[in-house]
Amino acid sequence: MLKLHNLSKVYRTDEVETAALNSVNIEIESGEFVAIMGPSGCGKSTLLNIIGMLDSPSSGDYIFMGENVAPYGEAKLSNIRKQHIGFIFQSFNLIDELSVEENIELALLYHNIPASERRERVAHVMDKVGIAHRAKHMPSQLSGGQQQRVAVARAVVGDQAMILADEPTGNLDSAHGQEVMEMLQSLNEEGTTIVMVTHSPAHADYARRTINLFDGHVVTENLRAAV
Amino acid sequence: MFQNYINVALRNLFKNKLYSAINIIGLAVGLAACIMIMLFVRDELSYDRFWSKADNIYRLNTTFNPPGREPFVTVMAQGPTKHALKTYFPEEVEHVTRFNSMRVVMQKEQDVFSEILMWTDPETVDIFDFDVVAGDLRRTLNDNASLAINETFARKYFGEEDAIGQTLTLSVYSLKRDYRIGAVYKDLPHNTVLEFQGMAMIDEKDFVDQEWEFTQWFSVNNYVYFTLKPGVSVETINQRLDGFTNQFIEIPDAALGGQSSDYIHYSTQPITDIQLDPAGARDGEMKATGDMATVITFSAIAGLILVIACINFMNLATAKSTQRAREVALRKVLGAKRRQLVTQFLGESVLIALIGLVFGVVLVEVMLPSFGGFVDKELTFNYLDPLTISILLGLVAIVGVLGGVYPALILSGFRPAYVLKANKSSESTGSARLRNVLVVMQFAISIALIVSTGVVYGQKVYATNMDPGFNKENLIVVRNTGRSGAIDKRDAFKEQVARLPGVKSVAFSSDAPASGNESNNTVRVPSEEGERSVLIGSHRIDYEFFDTYEIPMLAGRAYSREYALDVSPNGFAAEEGALLQSNLIVNEGAVRRFGFASPQDAIGKIVKMGVGNGRQAEFTIIGVIPDTKFQSVREVMRPEMYFLAPYGFNNLNVRYEGNPTEVVGRIEALWKSMITEVPFAYDYVDDVMAEEFVREENQSILLAIFAGLAVVIACLGLYGLASFTAERRTKEIGIRKVMGASVFDIVRLLLWQFSKPVLLANLIAWPIAIWGMLTWLENFPYRIEAWVLLPLCLVAGVIALTIAWATVGGNAARVARSNPIDALRYE
Ligand SMILES: Nc1ncnc2c1ncn2[C@@H]1O[C@H](COP(=O)(O)OP(=O)(O)OP(=O)(O)O)[C@@H](O)[C@H]1O
Ligand SMILES: [Mg+2]
Repeated sequence: MLKLHNLSKVYRTDEVETAALNSVNIEIESGEFVAIMGPSGCGKSTLLNIIGMLDSPSSGDYIFMGENVAPYGEAKLSNIRKQHIGFIFQSFNLIDELSVEENIELALLYHNIPASERRERVAHVMDKVGIAHRAKHMPSQLSGGQQQRVAVARAVVGDQAMILADEPTGNLDSAHGQEVMEMLQSLNEEGTTIVMVTHSPAHADYARRTINLFDGHVVTENLRAAV
Repeated sequence: MFQNYINVALRNLFKNKLYSAINIIGLAVGLAACIMIMLFVRDELSYDRFWSKADNIYRLNTTFNPPGREPFVTVMAQGPTKHALKTYFPEEVEHVTRFNSMRVVMQKEQDVFSEILMWTDPETVDIFDFDVVAGDLRRTLNDNASLAINETFARKYFGEEDAIGQTLTLSVYSLKRDYRIGAVYKDLPHNTVLEFQGMAMIDEKDFVDQEWEFTQWFSVNNYVYFTLKPGVSVETINQRLDGFTNQFIEIPDAALGGQSSDYIHYSTQPITDIQLDPAGARDGEMKATGDMATVITFSAIAGLILVIACINFMNLATAKSTQRAREVALRKVLGAKRRQLVTQFLGESVLIALIGLVFGVVLVEVMLPSFGGFVDKELTFNYLDPLTISILLGLVAIVGVLGGVYPALILSGFRPAYVLKANKSSESTGSARLRNVLVVMQFAISIALIVSTGVVYGQKVYATNMDPGFNKENLIVVRNTGRSGAIDKRDAFKEQVARLPGVKSVAFSSDAPASGNESNNTVRVPSEEGERSVLIGSHRIDYEFFDTYEIPMLAGRAYSREYALDVSPNGFAAEEGALLQSNLIVNEGAVRRFGFASPQDAIGKIVKMGVGNGRQAEFTIIGVIPDTKFQSVREVMRPEMYFLAPYGFNNLNVRYEGNPTEVVGRIEALWKSMITEVPFAYDYVDDVMAEEFVREENQSILLAIFAGLAVVIACLGLYGLASFTAERRTKEIGIRKVMGASVFDIVRLLLWQFSKPVLLANLIAWPIAIWGMLTWLENFPYRIEAWVLLPLCLVAGVIALTIAWATVGGNAARVARSNPIDALRYE
């Protein structure tokens, strides 16, 4: 699915240069469930953002579905991103002014999909994540777990091949956290590639492979024996 | 405590530079517009209040009610009214004086000049106060060979020399006399309706041959002012004016029937009411007067601009209030009471308004001279005037409170627990909705102003380009050909002008286009019940007139030298009882008024009228021309007759081709070689006609400026709101971008948000502007068609939308281009 080769990311501010990622080499196969772990500030989010094409690497190659996207500009990246990648954030990032339905529909809005089909697909994923009875509610009327379910629904409604999740359970209690993990797992079983950043070893266990980052380097990669 | 508020207020001001700048600039411009218009309005209201007898000076106005025509109002009266008022109202009227302005040829040693001077009665000194700097005004006005002049005139002709005792030789009509300068007075202030540069005493004996000037009851040539004796109310005069008319005036034409007061009606007008006559500015004043409608319109526009600025103030303050929620919450936790908070925020907005006022005053200082030039006034801004100061401080208080009260109430109403706990300070939908309403209002005002500007300008263009029924291009009028000194040579002059290269055709006429002169004759027309009398306007022309003006004949023929009867008879040269006969050309309007079926039908018909000296003549209609707007393009076309008569030929009309300056140069050289006693004066006919619309032109320029200001201030506010909204929506925009929205999608989203209020504003502004402008257009008999307003509205809407987009677009693009993870990272 994707391959990072000697990939580095350096943040420059006026005074300091931070090397958030340092010659990272990672390969992720289609259909994998990968967890990324590591101490705070080690570059997990940076890595995920680059994989998600929200940010560009400073050097190195990023081959996504056989194409080196590292030199691409924003418009091109945005096009690839909206076709193939869905996002789930720690803080849900739903739009406060839109209802549950509309928040999910947002992911289809920029895809030239007719309204009737959009409605169908939104209804379908809402059923799937069990939030259909809340369709007309506003995000502020939902619990954290419910909000994250909406975010999951939004991430998959466009039939994205890969979902990137940055600490999806970080703001949830353990029961709700588990619920989300189970949802991700079943998505993975249906064939979706999942890359997830987490601080919880228990949640990392859902993944088949764990990548440990430290200070911008990949330290270890653990492969969990297939169940 | 207070110190703390001031600190916070100032720090807030500096911290939010954009916000402060928008408010201060907007308020400064709004207040500056208000101050300038206030000065203008105060000046208009101050007219003629400085006379010591201001409350007791009245003018006699005359209204003619010709049968079958609109009443014809003049601001003058006949010469004999002066004596008649004194005899009819001996117990009531104290002093009466006349002003009659005449153009004189003035000789100072070898040089000749043409000037306009005022002939007046000695009582002028008893009614009006003059600031005499040299000589004795009362003695001067009691001497028919003395002249009183103002300082400007004295400086113009005598420089630094002492003017008193110097002589100027004046000629007017047959009068030619050496006048001694007997008094010099300070120029009258600008805020009076009186205007003249010099005064000479009216000695009626000097004008016995020109009885229409002072001694005849059928010509209105004098401004007649009077004062009342102590304790007399002007009402007692008003009630008896019809009796006055009937006692002194006999109806000129017995055939009309009825009383004199049915045809002539006098009215009195306090001098302080003249400048802003509620009935609208009248023609024939000594100088153009103001106009109540203009004063009201200007005040309204100034108010609206200030409203727009205040709206910015309110909008940005409420928008920002959410960002200050934390400060408020903390103050509350620390024990601040709601009232204290309200005071604090009101204080802050009054502070901003005060700073806006300071900048506004600076703006006024910079702009006042050009504004003054525009409204043709010397306006000064007096800071020490208590009225001005209190109005300004009042404005600041109103603006400050208006702008501050809503955000103050909202902010002070926040519940601290809620604010401190929620990590975002989401806005109440109420204040967002109020903000939208206010933005809609701002743009509605701006759009209405743009539409009005377009209509006023369009009407001006339409009126100046309207076909007047003759060819006004390449046509000049040479003036003064009827003055003594020119009159003897005018026929020879005409012949020679006709031979000049570049001159196609020349013709004399009594009047030139747009002169404003009215002469009317009572004409008797044969009808079923014998004879009918109708009043018809008249001009006197010579043979080449219709050719020169390129006016075609609708029926019949033009005047020709082959027919002796074409020349109008002169009653003074005719014998008693002779049957006078002549031919006549009239316009279509006259044909209708006479009651003939068509121009063809009118040919050969005979009408009768007086030709002076009590003699009557029969006129056979030989030609009909179409209706032309010769009299004025501002007024409805009137029925007119064109006599072939040399009497009063003051204008020589010249149709030329080629370079106008060369042609004029040749004519001027010719004039100077033939006529030395009268200065050469000429006008281009199209210029003279365009001048009739100077007022509209100035109005449209001022409106355009005001509309521009309104739009600029409204856009400043929009810009502030847009940057605020973009800030508030960064997270949403980030999410949308992650979901695949392109920069274009985001820009479109933000533009649409701000297009909605502008579009709505159009829907509100259009009907109001259309209604207002249709009402305004009713002032003009010839006006642009109503449907023209629709495209104007569309254009105004597009302009407003484009400007709004331009304002918001840059910001939107910047926000749309920013990296979404920056917005989403820290949550
Ligand atoms: N826009 C930026 N500008 C400058 N430095 C940045 C920027 N974004 C991240 N960094 C720095 O890069 C490093 C990696 O940050 P990153 O957010 O990837 O860490 P993380 O592993 O996700 O940490 P956490 O577990 O706390 O989320 C940090 O040192 C951070 O300070
Ligand atoms: Mg992180």
